[in-house]
Amino acid sequence: MTDQLVMGPDTGPSTPAAPDREAAARRTARGRRWRRTAVLALGWVAIYAVWEATSWWFGSRLLPRPHEVLQSAIEIIETGNFVGDFSASVLKTFAGFGVAALVGAPIGYAMGRSRYWRAFFHDGVTIAGTIPAIVYAVMSLIVFGLSNLGPILAVALVSAPYVALNVAEGIRGVDNQLITMSEAFGRTPRQIRREVLVPTIVPFVFAAIRMCFAVAWKVEALTEVFGGRSGVGFQIRTEYQLYDISAVLAWMVLFIAFMLVIERLVLAKAESRLLAWRPEERGAAL
Amino acid sequence: MAVLTVTNLSKTFNLGTARESRILDDISFEVSGQTFVSIVGPSGCGKSTLLNIISGVEEHTSGDITLTSDAGGPARMGYVFQDPRLLPWRSVMKNMMYVQDDQSRDTVARAERYLDMVGLKKNADFYPGQLSGGMQQRVGIARAFAVEPDLLLMDEPFSHLDAITARGLREQLQDIWAQSKKTVVFVTHDVVEAVELSDRIIVLQPGGLIYEDITIDLPRPRRQSDKAVATLQADVLARLETLKAMAAAEPVAEPVA
Ligand SMILES: Nc1ncnc2c1ncn2[C@@H]1O[C@H](COP(=O)(O)OP(=O)(O)OP(=O)(O)O)[C@@H](O)[C@H]1O
Ligand SMILES: [Mg+2]
Repeated sequence: MTDQLVMGPDTGPSTPAAPDREAAARRTARGRRWRRTAVLALGWVAIYAVWEATSWWFGSRLLPRPHEVLQSAIEIIETGNFVGDFSASVLKTFAGFGVAALVGAPIGYAMGRSRYWRAFFHDGVTIAGTIPAIVYAVMSLIVFGLSNLGPILAVALVSAPYVALNVAEGIRGVDNQLITMSEAFGRTPRQIRREVLVPTIVPFVFAAIRMCFAVAWKVEALTEVFGGRSGVGFQIRTEYQLYDISAVLAWMVLFIAFMLVIERLVLAKAESRLLAWRPEERGAAL
Repeated sequence: MAVLTVTNLSKTFNLGTARESRILDDISFEVSGQTFVSIVGPSGCGKSTLLNIISGVEEHTSGDITLTSDAGGPARMGYVFQDPRLLPWRSVMKNMMYVQDDQSRDTVARAERYLDMVGLKKNADFYPGQLSGGMQQRVGIARAFAVEPDLLLMDEPFSHLDAITARGLREQLQDIWAQSKKTVVFVTHDVVEAVELSDRIIVLQPGGLIYEDITIDLPRPRRQSDKAVATLQADVLARLETLKAMAAAEPVAEPVA
């Protein structure tokens, strides 16, 4: 992306000097890439140094040293019991999204299509969207107690307002000329919904999901810590009760890494596939 | 072919508090059979609005419109808009098939044939965003042809295309029209084009009245070099010039307080 920006202006004009300039631009781009990697590595070294220093200051019983956490992480991976807990957490997160989509999308659709429904839902949805996630976590615990449904409800409550508002925004941005075209060719309301409205809102739903995802898995884990019976949060609580801080941190680090991978690979891939028609996404699709 | 009857049609747009603008004013005409009608008139005189009302996507304020196929049933309609209006998230071929009632092999083959006709067979799997503006417009044309409509509505379909492509498509339009027995209502501001294609030219004047309804009875194909064609073109053009002068001289209507 950045490389393209750097090279962009020089690739256009085909003056005799162009090959030279292109080569120079390539060199500059390579240099930049290298420097960026170096700075990135430096950042990690700094994190490591701060961590080491802090745990030296407080003692490794309070904050285990990086290599201890790494060792715990390796143990967790080797025993293999992370698979079940990770998939439990991921499943609960996505189940929560499912519920949020089932509830939020129709509300958003109604809000986008009719002024009355918009007025009806607007304040409620906005308030629901500003309530802190921790409140939803606590509410879910009160409702479901020690159960797997708590985390699902918490994720759903956190995500549904975002989904609703984004879908509403998407529906209101629908291209009326496409609807006119569909009507002129005698398409049924159902066909128009499927071929015009739904594709219009897909990018908005994705934006909502990606926005929520960052918050949702944290809420999910948090709810598990207090009331889960499986999953990463549950493991964190167990290790905490055994006072194994390095295992607590190891679960956390592994989970963060895992969720980042899901976000970067799974969500981003699915999005660029579904949105392959968009001119910006062309490169990725072809 | 279709039978289209427009009787005392008027259209006003509401412009908010106590203001409205009259776009079409008491228009009546009838088209039927294998007729090619052009509607010409200065920009903003209501040509697109008229097509939208005929196609049913826009309401009219008063008057009547009836449209049937010449066999008596409901008429199948095709519409080429002033802009392409393709679904950006569907490939060219899927756009062609979206407006078809059945998805049979024959229909697919027909869609392919019309796509080939506008020179875009190779681009069937492209997304609209991967085509140039003119190519998109050609997909819009092929899409309307491919439903093999009784009534074909076209709103300045060639105005965004280069002269050579436009000429080619104009010839193909005439062939299709001659073979497939369609009623065509064709909006254009290009008088040369109108005279070349039409059996009849309806000239709209600003304010949405019919200024003139001209029947053209010249043999086809019509060539620029033909004296009768050139004379008629000059004649219609002169009338449009008068209309434009009229529109310019007309004081801008003050909103009623
Ligand atoms: N939704 C609307 N609300 C108010 N006025 C409108 C609306 N749509 C069109 N108009 C007005 O109706 C008039 C006719 O518009 P129309 O698009 O039919 O013109 P046209 O003859 O097709 O012009 P052109 O040759 O430039 O395409 C214009 O003055 C326009 O401002
Ligand atoms: Mg127009």
